[in-house]
Amino acid sequence: MSSIDSVYVLMFMTGLMGGFGHCIGMCGPAVAAYSISVGERRTIAYILYSLGRITTYSILGGIIGLTGSFLGITKSIEKLQSAAIALIGSTMIFMGIGILGWRAYFSRPGKAASKSYLTSLIIKSMRTISETGGLGVYFPMGLVLGFIPCGLLYTSLIAAAGAGAAAGSRVEGLLRGAAMLMLFGLGTTPALFLVGRLSSIMSVKFRGRLYRLAGGLMIITGAIYISRLF
Amino acid sequence: MRMFIKIIYRYGICILVTALMCCLGLTHGIGILSAEEKCDLSKGACMKTVGDSEVTLDISPKPVKAMESLIFSVHVKGVNTGDNLVLELAMPGMYMGDNHVLLKKAGESRYSGEGVIPRCHSGKTLWSATVDLPGKGQVEFPFDVLY
Repeated sequence: MSSIDSVYVLMFMTGLMGGFGHCIGMCGPAVAAYSISVGERRTIAYILYSLGRITTYSILGGIIGLTGSFLGITKSIEKLQSAAIALIGSTMIFMGIGILGWRAYFSRPGKAASKSYLTSLIIKSMRTISETGGLGVYFPMGLVLGFIPCGLLYTSLIAAAGAGAAAGSRVEGLLRGAAMLMLFGLGTTPALFLVGRLSSIMSVKFRGRLYRLAGGLMIITGAIYISRLF
Repeated sequence: MRMFIKIIYRYGICILVTALMCCLGLTHGIGILSAEEKCDLSKGACMKTVGDSEVTLDISPKPVKAMESLIFSVHVKGVNTGDNLVLELAMPGMYMGDNHVLLKKAGESRYSGEGVIPRCHSGKTLWSATVDLPGKGQVEFPFDVLY
């Protein structure tokens, strides 16, 4: 096996091991919560969420591979990461509100119409987000979650920067970086899928209570994400 | 089927407990520090012995910060080493992926290389730098990082 091939295997293994040793602790509650809340279509929801996350990882890996600079890129996307944290944190809070059945306020007829256009738009968005039965939210959620700062992801991006710096051309660096991070992302999926499946199996028996617990977990996880901004 | 679900429950609980321990930091730093190892790398270089060899590690600039370019300098005494050494950066109790720094020869028994410590959003600040001495073993230096 050439050294380049072994880098790709290493990236997949980093994702796989990190998935069980790191991501379960950091992202497990969020995945468990949406697995319980999404209902029968949880596998499709999980695939969409994972595809979104892997897409973002690949784009970041490609850009860092292209430039060969880890610090330069991560510093330039700090504001984007903060926006991603705010967006995903508030999305999770509103999904949690939806699960717990507190969205009556947002659904009250005529309430939105009496407010300004911007307020109406926000309320409409909140209502859409809180309608957790829709699968459309999971791919964008994965895309945004991919930007959440994570030590394990940073380590993989450092490796992509090294591969990019050692590449013969910028295009080669871009392709290498994107491929490395795509494999890393793929490696992280089994652990989170397992958490999701376990949550689903348990939810068959305790559906009512776990469904509400999922709503609470989503609100807490969202609040934790937002607290990282301060 | 019922037995299968029971097994899944048990393993699931094990995984969730391990994840919780990682979150709460219960495994944090186990087996790392001893009385002679309390040298502070954020203040100066630290020396350790492995067999009859001495290994000194210094990190600059100080204080040691995450998400900054850092220079790792190693001085090895009493052992024949090659042109390069490898230093591994890790966080005790939390898998952070393979973060290897290649240390190139920078003089007689001296090695130097550039690396980055990623920021961990769990808030844990204890990291370790492990120098691999081929044929002699590994020397681990725990240190705190500023986020």
